[in-house]
Amino acid sequence: MQRFDLAYRPRGRVSNGSVGAHGGVDVGGIGVFRDHARFIQFPDARRIDIRATMRDPTGETHVRRFEQRNAIDVYALVDLSASMGFHGAARRLDIVADLCAALAFSATRIGDRFGVIACDESLRNDLLLPATRARGAAVAAAERLRDAAPRGASAKALTEAAGLIAGRRKLVLLISDFHWPRDFATRLFGLLAQHDLAPILIADSTEERDLPHFGLVELDDLESGARRLVFMRPSLRGRWLAREAERRDALRRLALAHGRPPFVMSDSFDADALSRHLLGL
Amino acid sequence: MSFGLASPLALFLLPLALAPLLFSPLRLSPISSVSAAPQDALSTLVAWALRLLASLAIGASTLAVAGPFREGRAIQRYGEGAEISILIDRSASMNETFAGRTPAGGEESKASAAKRFMTDFVDRRAHDLFGVTAFSTSPIMVMPMTNHRAAVRAAIQAIDRPGLGYTNIGRGLAMALSQFPAGGEIESRVILLVSDGAAVIDPRIQDQLRADFRKIRPNLYWLFLRTSGAKGISDQPDAGELDTPQALPERHLDLFFKSLGIGYRAFEAEGPAAVADAIAEIDRLERRPFRYVERIPRKDLTDHSLIVAAFATSVLVVAKFAETRLKQTARAGASPQFAKRAA
Repeated sequence: MQRFDLAYRPRGRVSNGSVGAHGGVDVGGIGVFRDHARFIQFPDARRIDIRATMRDPTGETHVRRFEQRNAIDVYALVDLSASMGFHGAARRLDIVADLCAALAFSATRIGDRFGVIACDESLRNDLLLPATRARGAAVAAAERLRDAAPRGASAKALTEAAGLIAGRRKLVLLISDFHWPRDFATRLFGLLAQHDLAPILIADSTEERDLPHFGLVELDDLESGARRLVFMRPSLRGRWLAREAERRDALRRLALAHGRPPFVMSDSFDADALSRHLLGL
Repeated sequence: MSFGLASPLALFLLPLALAPLLFSPLRLSPISSVSAAPQDALSTLVAWALRLLASLAIGASTLAVAGPFREGRAIQRYGEGAEISILIDRSASMNETFAGRTPAGGEESKASAAKRFMTDFVDRRAHDLFGVTAFSTSPIMVMPMTNHRAAVRAAIQAIDRPGLGYTNIGRGLAMALSQFPAGGEIESRVILLVSDGAAVIDPRIQDQLRADFRKIRPNLYWLFLRTSGAKGISDQPDAGELDTPQALPERHLDLFFKSLGIGYRAFEAEGPAAVADAIAEIDRLERRPFRYVERIPRKDLTDHSLIVAAFATSVLVVAKFAETRLKQTARAGASPQFAKRAA
């Protein structure tokens, strides 16, 4: 099975006890040169910089300090409310599973831990994976999402998930279609503010670009079960698309206030585009 | 106006008409959130119209199964004209021409001339009620008092069938009088007697007739189709001839009618043209507004019910043809490529 490799770079400096691949705030003995410190501050005799010590007219002893590279925990917070069961141009959960599997594979490869928390109205403990470096377990947990049954009318347990991953700064991929009430989204983004939050919007072209131009469509809400007959015609389609664009824009403004803009994943999992996005290129 | 049902038990199916409120005739398109679709008044209107039409289709079909009908009833109508009781002589002599011969070649018998002009007469008078009675030896009720043109016309068509027997005018008149509905207000009533001769009215019947005429008070028109050479209405008895009803029945019938004290006119016609003039004269005289009651028969409304159901269903079929789904458009987007490849 083909595995895509995802590259990512956390925003800001990582502060974590363990050694890893990302630039951190910690100083250490190896890596990229950071600065000089007085020996009294950083008593590492192996790193005494003779030249800097000799140059100092006050006779202070200088030590070289290096940037410690740290690991970061990567969490996928997956919205598993009923709307994620949508099957348009692609199965939404296939995209989610592909993304999570690639992320699990890539994260564990560079020494980061990967975890999955799926939520509908309650935490889905059957799909829960606390952060782990074990690649097999991580990839298996990601693959379990493929056959998960989305249910529930909302993803309100995501606020509980935010509590589960509180603590050290983590890279959190919030994966959803973001058909949320505005205040819920604002609250959740606030709860996750301490983390490097990357919202991933799973979109589908049948709900946007490929809307029919003309005809009667009986819409069936996957979450609430509400039904509505829509008489599609070019003017209504235009309004629909404008509304969708407005919704995206609102999400973008909310997400930018917390760091990263949302990444829109439409119809298929594009690892390269997501890598570019996560690297901030 | 009251309605009824042939099989009311079928109405137990009527709650099915509520089904469209719960189920849609269109296939569902799952969507993440219906709130993604903008609010649209026209869509709401179409949705409710379809629901209503589906209910209507089911309801009307159910009703059609139940077999609705409108009860027969009596309605009052107003017409300009009269209740006309036509009394036609069917004695054998009516089949002769005005010259008293059996019709040959292009000649017209008295009966067929009468038929022709009477048909015209009936056609001209759109709002009259007609009753047709024929008499020879005994009277025959041909058509009770009605305003159904076709029936009256058919009754008149039948009067030139070969006649038979003698002229028993007394009993004929009694039956013609009985055509008028009993009681009620005195309306414009007319007896139109068409005959080619007269006969003696039995004195016993005469008294009865007098009473009836006084009660009903019709205008009496006697269209006397006089065979040339025969005795006329106003012929005085010849010298030496006895002035008895047996000798001069026409004269004495005329006298009898005059003595009744009602509106009476006699028309002596000695040919088709004279018949036409007489009829035109009667047509002119009898034009007064009057009121009458007509019975409307029970009417089956199943067809109407089915037409409503068919109309509602056809609109639903149109909606079904206009149906589309979110998912199919994704496939439809791919089909032009296939078409290109095939080309």
